Amino acid sequence: MKVCETEYLRRYGRWKYIIVVLIALLGLVTILSLNVGFAQIPTSHIVRILVNEIPILGNMNSGSGLSESERMIITQIRLPRIFAGILVGVSLAASGAVFQGIFRNPMADPYVLGVSSGAALGAALAIVLRVGFTFFGIDTVTVMAFIGAVAATLTVYNIARVGSRTPVVTLLLSGIAVSIFLSAIVSMLQVVAGWDLHKLVFWLMGGFSYAEWKDVWAILPLVCVGIPLAYLFARDLNIMALGEEEAQHLGVDVEKSKKILIVLGSLLTAAAVSISGLIGFVGLIVPHLTRILVGPDHKILMPSSLLTGAIFIVSCDALARVVFVPSEVPVGIITALSGGPFFIYLLRKKKGSYSL
Amino acid sequence: MVSLEIDGVSCRYESIQVLDSLSFSANEREFIGVLGPNGSGKTTLLRTISRTLKPQRGVVLLDGRDIYQMANKDVAKQVAVVPQDSIVAFNFTALDVVLMGRNPHLNRFQLESSDDLLIAKESMELTGTWHLANRSIVEVSGGERQRIIIARALAQKPMVLLLDEPTLHLDINSQIGVLDLLTSLCKDSKLLVIAVFHDFNLASRYCDKIILLHDRKIVSFGEPEKVLTKENISNVFRVEAFVKRHPMTDSLYVIPLLGSRSREVRREDFGVHLICGGGSGASLMTKLVREGWSVTAGVLNILDTDHEAAQTLGIPIVSEAPFSPITKEAYEENLRLIEQADAVIVTEFLIGYGNVRNLEAVKAALEKSIPTIVLDNIPIEKRDFTNGEAERLFKELLAKGVTIAKTHDECIRIIESLRNQRFS
Repeated sequence: MKVCETEYLRRYGRWKYIIVVLIALLGLVTILSLNVGFAQIPTSHIVRILVNEIPILGNMNSGSGLSESERMIITQIRLPRIFAGILVGVSLAASGAVFQGIFRNPMADPYVLGVSSGAALGAALAIVLRVGFTFFGIDTVTVMAFIGAVAATLTVYNIARVGSRTPVVTLLLSGIAVSIFLSAIVSMLQVVAGWDLHKLVFWLMGGFSYAEWKDVWAILPLVCVGIPLAYLFARDLNIMALGEEEAQHLGVDVEKSKKILIVLGSLLTAAAVSISGLIGFVGLIVPHLTRILVGPDHKILMPSSLLTGAIFIVSCDALARVVFVPSEVPVGIITALSGGPFFIYLLRKKKGSYSL
Repeated sequence: MVSLEIDGVSCRYESIQVLDSLSFSANEREFIGVLGPNGSGKTTLLRTISRTLKPQRGVVLLDGRDIYQMANKDVAKQVAVVPQDSIVAFNFTALDVVLMGRNPHLNRFQLESSDDLLIAKESMELTGTWHLANRSIVEVSGGERQRIIIARALAQKPMVLLLDEPTLHLDINSQIGVLDLLTSLCKDSKLLVIAVFHDFNLASRYCDKIILLHDRKIVSFGEPEKVLTKENISNVFRVEAFVKRHPMTDSLYVIPLLGSRSREVRREDFGVHLICGGGSGASLMTKLVREGWSVTAGVLNILDTDHEAAQTLGIPIVSEAPFSPITKEAYEENLRLIEQADAVIVTEFLIGYGNVRNLEAVKAALEKSIPTIVLDNIPIEKRDFTNGEAERLFKELLAKGVTIAKTHDECIRIIESLRNQRFS
């Protein structure tokens, strides 16, 4: 017995190990990704440029031999792009895990409550109407996409509400209904878009081509607050796997937890979508894949799946930059092309021992 | 000391009333069964007590506090629920699921400690599921899962345990295992157990009190003897049943009778007298009564199985004191019943010096030319414990022209045709 008890507690140690490995992997792909791009910049230069950016170390190191354009490419193009990718990957994977938990369904994804179509409509309106203002320096398309995403989720949530309860089935159905409705409007806008069509389609496919530091700063606070808050509900999500009524019998305030988690999940998704456009697949596949690897306990599932999400997006974005040099492939295509087969492989391999 | 008081509780789903002013109270160490037909509100009653379905009127008081005024978590520390069936969405291990029972005692920032693990382990050992700890909850059998869920409920360290048909998916061995466990928890850990049952016999065997629900109301509440009466079962479930106390378990057992032919066909105009004993006539007697014949029997010793059957069926019989030979008085009383009958049936009972007079009664019946049917599958030599006297009498009967039947159905066909002859 003693053996079994310690074995159970030892998994906390194993969890730490998993997290450390994932963080190391994320570091690795970040460095690799910095090396990848149209411009060939030697790794030694990249290291020196990065060191120069660190305030105290930078003063000890003369910037001689480094071209200004190389410095610009690294610090103003590749770095913000990688950080935007990390934030988006983290947000989509975290909210995917949250939604799959709430809906007790591995088919749920961050877009299940209409976030994507709301964001798409917001962005499409901004692009087609050429709204010119900026909001505290943030691009209008970003702001409008965020507003659209949040508004769509609120609409879905209120449609689904029955008194003080929001049954998951009605949530899913009203999510589908609202998505279809909003997507139709977006399609209509594409028809009338004219010269803006290219920009709109490119936004809808999702990517980080235009990512800048201001995008990173715009969503960083939300991600930094939202994810730890959602993590506080990890055990609630575990217990909700038993069904809402049983979760309530075990002392979970289901309606309250569900409401908070829906708000957090939707805000995280809205934040991600507003700077990257619609990147599919990540929010669905990453939590699912991580569940196969580390098990269903949200206490480990959430951190490892958001790290995996970041690793996945950063790698896919690096690929997107190089596969068709000099042109770029939208990252959403890479995520689906690379993630799909790997996912199928895992499903086949673990078929016997894995159950929905 | 935990006490639960349900006072004037009424519930409705949408516009359909499901509970109508229910009131009862219960205390620790009580094992209460809830019985009732489908749709009588059993599960709703449990949902009301578990703070899942707020009643429109009335209150549920736990130690004097209205549970709907308490925080969800505080109720979960005291009330645990075992649902009919648990479907777990992801493949958690059994131990994971049992540890979820510790949730009411943990705050948002705590991880499960080794103390929680110890409680989970104890609960699983009590329900005999500790060996399944690392198995996935979606892979174990229905019975195993049920016991794991009970372990989870116990890990909550509750005062009140609510179970919705705890034995639904279990084989008979596990049913008894689970109910024995609940009984010992109830008595030793001072739990109040309230469980929905469908099986009268398990309920009467294990419950201190039974709530009988019918048509949204409590029909009867109290000890099994008080609740499980023939009348209550007939009114609530619309089946006729015999209720008896089992000599071995000393608890009530209920035997429902199949069909309701007696209500459609009346054959009371035709009297059948059974001469039986030692259990050889009980099933035929029951069948005849169910089919509506006017049945009498005798002479039967008190405590004889056939005597008990006749008493349960409430038919006229001639009784004799236990283990005593048939007296002259009883013999003559028996003859009077025979004379009133339209046919006599003789079953394959064992014959000793005590009851050999019953064969003489058959002879008397034949002499009065009352049609007599004799079941004759077991040879008389094997049933004769009178050194040949019974055999001699029996052969005499055969010579006098009794009708021989091999099965009960054949017997019934014969008396059916006798009746038809008489009325045509």
